[in-house]
Amino acid sequence: MRDALAPLAEALSRQVEVDTTEITAEAEKEAAELVAAARREARNVLADARADGAAQARADAVAERVHAERRVRHTELAARREALDELYAQSATVVRALRADPCYPRLLDRLSALARNAGGTDMVVKEQPDGGVLAEGHGRRVDCTLSALAARAVDALGAEVERLWAP
Amino acid sequence: MKVWAPVEYTGVAELRGPLIVVQGTRNVGWDEYATIVLESGERRHGLVLDVDRDIAVVQILEGTGGLRIEATRVTFTGSPLHISAGTGWLGRVCNGRGRPLDGGPPIFGDDSVPVAGFPMNPTVREPPAEPVITGVSVIDALTTLVRGQKIAIFAEGGLPYLELAAQVAAQAHTGGAPFNVVFAAMGLTHSDAATVRDILERRSSAAELTLLLNLADDPVIERLLTPRIALTVAEHLAFVLRRHVLVVLADMTSYCEALREVSAARGEIPARRAYPGYLYSDLASIYERCGRIRGRAGSITVLPVLSMPAGDITHPVPDLTGYITEGQILLAREVTSYPHIDPLSSLSRMMRAGVGTGRTRPEHLDLAAQIQAGLSRARQAGELADLVGESALSPIDRRYLAMAEAFRTRLLVQRPDEARTLEETFDRAWDVVSTLPRSELSMLGEEALEAGYRGES
Repeated sequence: MRDALAPLAEALSRQVEVDTTEITAEAEKEAAELVAAARREARNVLADARADGAAQARADAVAERVHAERRVRHTELAARREALDELYAQSATVVRALRADPCYPRLLDRLSALARNAGGTDMVVKEQPDGGVLAEGHGRRVDCTLSALAARAVDALGAEVERLWAP
Repeated sequence: MKVWAPVEYTGVAELRGPLIVVQGTRNVGWDEYATIVLESGERRHGLVLDVDRDIAVVQILEGTGGLRIEATRVTFTGSPLHISAGTGWLGRVCNGRGRPLDGGPPIFGDDSVPVAGFPMNPTVREPPAEPVITGVSVIDALTTLVRGQKIAIFAEGGLPYLELAAQVAAQAHTGGAPFNVVFAAMGLTHSDAATVRDILERRSSAAELTLLLNLADDPVIERLLTPRIALTVAEHLAFVLRRHVLVVLADMTSYCEALREVSAARGEIPARRAYPGYLYSDLASIYERCGRIRGRAGSITVLPVLSMPAGDITHPVPDLTGYITEGQILLAREVTSYPHIDPLSSLSRMMRAGVGTGRTRPEHLDLAAQIQAGLSRARQAGELADLVGESALSPIDRRYLAMAEAFRTRLLVQRPDEARTLEETFDRAWDVVSTLPRSELSMLGEEALEAGYRGES
């Protein structure tokens, strides 16, 4: 009886061995695939993180450069503005010095005529302590003070003013 | 001519909102520019809105806060607003009426020109030609900007149209030809203005760009001057200094709302949706200042940007703009990825004159037509798939759906800081059409297909 079952037992045993080998191989293969997938995933995560980091660094560098360029530009423009303000101030000083000029009374006559010509003959013209005249009438006023005329003279220079900062 | 003794009027009769009424004036005309001096010596500026005998109504650009009737002086310049034109504008950031915001001195120039401008003599106009490359793939490939053209960007609410406009302004070029950008921003919030400034900073630092910023809290009448100043600056650069100039006007809807407000203040009869009846001709007086002049090298390309209230393309502003411009680029919410351009609703009517052999690539027009046709078929297939399911579609319809997806991922989607070369754009465009079988590409010639097709035949 025992001998009669021996081939069956042997066959079962062989089958078990084959199955075990297959299952082991399958498990090993699956494990290898899982490890490979995990490694791939890890590589991708790492690559993405590197790319994100690099992109962020590039963006930060661009933002920093943009801010630096803005600061430089602002400093340059502010310097130009200061140069122009200085020109206005110096022009006013020089023009106000005309008060000491022997021809100043004649200049006042000319300015009075200019003011009346613009605002009307009914204007009341008064000499100003800072130099020049101020004419006032009903609802009208003409400012011919030396400071105002100096500012208008600088305004009239137009683009020539740019020679202050041209290379 | 310099006026050495200007008359200051002190007879201010009334202050009402942003308006002052000045009496006792002589020879003052409509739209004349005025300077207002306050008691403190502060200077403000204004425009004459109305004149009746010796009474002039002046709208103050900076508002009337702090003004006192008895201590305010008004000087009229004798003409509408003029600006100095020249290269001094390049690299500068100014407010909506051209005053510096960047801490620099006022802008000087060789010529003083009126900002209202003059319409270009039609007999000396040259038709638009040659492209302006924007670096945005979907625009360059399908709705190419052409030098001298006017083409609008229409945007549904909530879409980043300002970012797109700024991206185009920051990246656009004309190959090696001298090129400048004038960006007129109108009615922007402070945060939008900061975003636009950041995007345009590099080009501005390189003295290639002029930025005019009229903010949402700036006076509305200033907004009416902003596009005109931008175009006046551009005209000098283009037709005197012979450069190619792109003028971006964003947002023209804010401009039109300002026009409506000023029109109401003037007591004019309102027309559709309370906009003045002359809205069409007013818009034309801005858009028609683009173009090229025979015998001169420069050009002005105008890119107005409009937000469509409630996404309504029949609203008077986009509607009338669409009548005047030569095409449109539509930003739609259904397109979920930046730059949100709907290729099937966008069109550049002048594209034929700006692309092809010697300009972009010989196959450009055919390739663009093929992509448009493919996207149209894909839309139909997509609608069918909604009804019967994608699996029930024919294999060829599924290929068209794949082509539309390739279009979205390869050509349409682009980062706001990404400038693509024309070569890169064409490379991507060929990738898109190559998702279709070669037999489907009936709009492309054999020679072009041999050179560019990458799919399986």
